[in-house]
Amino acid sequence: MLFNSIGYIFFLPITILLFYLIPFRWRWALLLAASYFFYLLWRVEFVLVLMTATLVSYFTALKMGEIRKKKQRLKYLLLTLVINLGMLIFFKYLIFFTGTVNHLAGIMGSGIRLPYYNILVPVGISFYTFQTIGYAIDVYRGMIKPERSFGHYALFVSFFPLVLAGPIERGRRLLPQFHIDHSFDPQLFSSGLRLILWGMFKKIVIADRLSVFVNAIMSEPDYFHGIQIGIAIIMKMMMVYADFSGYTDIAIGSARLLGFKLSPNFNRPFSARSISEFWSRWHITLTSWLRDYVYFSLPNKFRGKISNRLLQLNLVITFVLVGFWHGPYWSYIAFGFLNGLFMVFANVSRPLMTNFNRITRLESSPRLLETLNISVTFLLVCFTGFFFGPHSLNASFMMIGKFADLSHSGSGILELLKFNDFILGILLVIFMLWFEYLVSVKSFAGKFLSKPIIIRYAAYLLMLFFILLFGVFSNQKFFYFQF
Amino acid sequence: MNRNKLFFKKLLVFLLLASAMNFSFNAVYDHWMYYFRLARTQDKQFDAYHDTLRYLMLGNSHNRVNPEILGNGFGYIMPKEVYTQTYYKLKYILEKTGKKPENIFLSIDPVNFSPKAESELPFDGYWKKYLDYFDLAREYHDPRYLLYWFSGNFFSYVGNYKYAYMSLIFFNADLSKIKNGYIPARDYENFARLPNRETLGYEVAMAYLSSYSKTSQLGDTKYYLKLLALCRQYQIRLFLLRMPLTDEYLKYAGKMIDIGKLDCEIIELTRKHCNNFEVFDFRNEFRGKPEYFFNADHINPEGVAIVTKKIKSILDEKGKVKH
Repeated sequence: MLFNSIGYIFFLPITILLFYLIPFRWRWALLLAASYFFYLLWRVEFVLVLMTATLVSYFTALKMGEIRKKKQRLKYLLLTLVINLGMLIFFKYLIFFTGTVNHLAGIMGSGIRLPYYNILVPVGISFYTFQTIGYAIDVYRGMIKPERSFGHYALFVSFFPLVLAGPIERGRRLLPQFHIDHSFDPQLFSSGLRLILWGMFKKIVIADRLSVFVNAIMSEPDYFHGIQIGIAIIMKMMMVYADFSGYTDIAIGSARLLGFKLSPNFNRPFSARSISEFWSRWHITLTSWLRDYVYFSLPNKFRGKISNRLLQLNLVITFVLVGFWHGPYWSYIAFGFLNGLFMVFANVSRPLMTNFNRITRLESSPRLLETLNISVTFLLVCFTGFFFGPHSLNASFMMIGKFADLSHSGSGILELLKFNDFILGILLVIFMLWFEYLVSVKSFAGKFLSKPIIIRYAAYLLMLFFILLFGVFSNQKFFYFQF
Repeated sequence: MNRNKLFFKKLLVFLLLASAMNFSFNAVYDHWMYYFRLARTQDKQFDAYHDTLRYLMLGNSHNRVNPEILGNGFGYIMPKEVYTQTYYKLKYILEKTGKKPENIFLSIDPVNFSPKAESELPFDGYWKKYLDYFDLAREYHDPRYLLYWFSGNFFSYVGNYKYAYMSLIFFNADLSKIKNGYIPARDYENFARLPNRETLGYEVAMAYLSSYSKTSQLGDTKYYLKLLALCRQYQIRLFLLRMPLTDEYLKYAGKMIDIGKLDCEIIELTRKHCNNFEVFDFRNEFRGKPEYFFNADHINPEGVAIVTKKIKSILDEKGKVKH
């Protein structure tokens, strides 16, 4: 089931109504049943993978909880890692590894050809696998006690607002919430409704409207060039942001309607002043997961001392993983590698840049410096967009080649301006960025909520009917579902 | 508890307000939407039409045969009409109005058979009059058709900002120009004078043909076949049309699909289910003549006149229809 489907319009209120009507001790069962129903509407077979991931991590965590010595817990951690990562690799990455082996064999003149298996990737597997692994590692590290109730744990893995595309929650944050009797909280409920409205606006109006224009260019880049490709890449990154952050807002909003608080996943990423800041604002639960469970676990000492070079290498490795997590293609690996490289470059050149800013007196104009940093970061992020989406490096380089052909830039822009969806898309993106800036200024939310009810209702109705009139209602999937 | 009660009261007020606004928007849209106004004008004229109905033009806006030139005809086309809608409209005409056309003109371009065409039933705010959505839902085992019924009745404006905007532009459109149901071809632009013809050709081809996804397989033909069966049942002769298209459109269409193969398949399919049809192929009639087009895939009034006169002379010459 999709958040932006008619089914969800019925599913969510019914679930909420039942949730608050039944006694607390049965609520977890209701949510578990609702979550599995929500998930199995995709494909019944996918439920088996979800259940396996749940069972394995649950029982290994229980076992780890019984063992005092960390070293003895390791074998259970390895077991859960092997099974959960094994499933992820099998479903999502087998085709990549097969393709790579066959390609290398071809280069070396070997006749070996591994067979290709076209396996359907269970939706959400990248998200719930990381969630279960994170939980198992936390138990292994002794940071949390294992969840005793299987039902509550199964709900933690399959909770319908997050099972398809996150946020990737931590056990210590979400599991305790399932044990608390949530009485109806009108304030939290209203904030949930507002978030859903805003998420729907971003998804249905902005992302889906932009996708009409972006897909037209991305699917047939041969017919476009130069500035058109450049603008399409920028719009694609905006589309991905509106799509994924819209999804997250609906997920967080839906959970709030039930009284649960999920982790934020975005914090105005396009206002970042550096690539590392960008990643602390974009898909926050993924980057913090990789930071905690991968980056900090990589060896960083050389001859007993923390090695700066190793830290930089670890950064690149972590971001290669970020890229690879997104998709089993070399283009995504290049996407992660580029991001890692940009960060290493920023770290290495920091003293140089500080000197440069002092000499050019940029230091004395912090606003200008900030604007420059935001602009450069934005352009770098957009450049990485050439590798985010295409399923091969060739396609990415071909697109960059097309972008480099600036011979018809003037007429190219004029042609784009004839796309209604393009002009509307630009206006909507500007509105989205401006509105999110406003909301980030704390006093705005307070001021708005203290306005008379008639003004607030007028604003909500305006937003609602804007969505209805300008939205694209063709049940388009969320971009991040492919990951 | 009081806080909760107050909240639910406010929520109820909000929902009532939203429902009232939705009802108003829907009513205004249904009343003023330009295409709906055109279609209602056609409906009225068709009710008042009592001459011999020798020719009936059905289908989408590509079918621009002018019944005034042809004589004894009625133009009953609707923009973006798909065969499912055409079938139900014809069924309605035959069963409810007591009028029976002798011949029907219908366009049979690959665009009419694209996988996209089967999956869309646009303008349900108007088509709710003709379509049996419950029948469709049963036929396809797909509850999506009930949704079309729902949106047609309560949310016909949803997602249609372009048509709302268009309706504002054509707010003062002169509907008296519609004669015998024929909506005059658009003439406020001439394709020959447009500088970006290549892009426009690509855009239109992309919009309507990309759903073939390079397989060149016909989409669902269920309702096309039902249409043929209905014509057979009522002994109506079919004139299948391929209307002129621009060089630019055909260039990109040719890159996306195998036009020749699809044309053959369409004719083969028709031959299997219908023995009373003729094909009028004018697709290449205006190659190298963009001045006869309004846009990449629609001819202008001048083009319509030429094509319709040709059809008339062919019909007269061959004596296919006795006048």
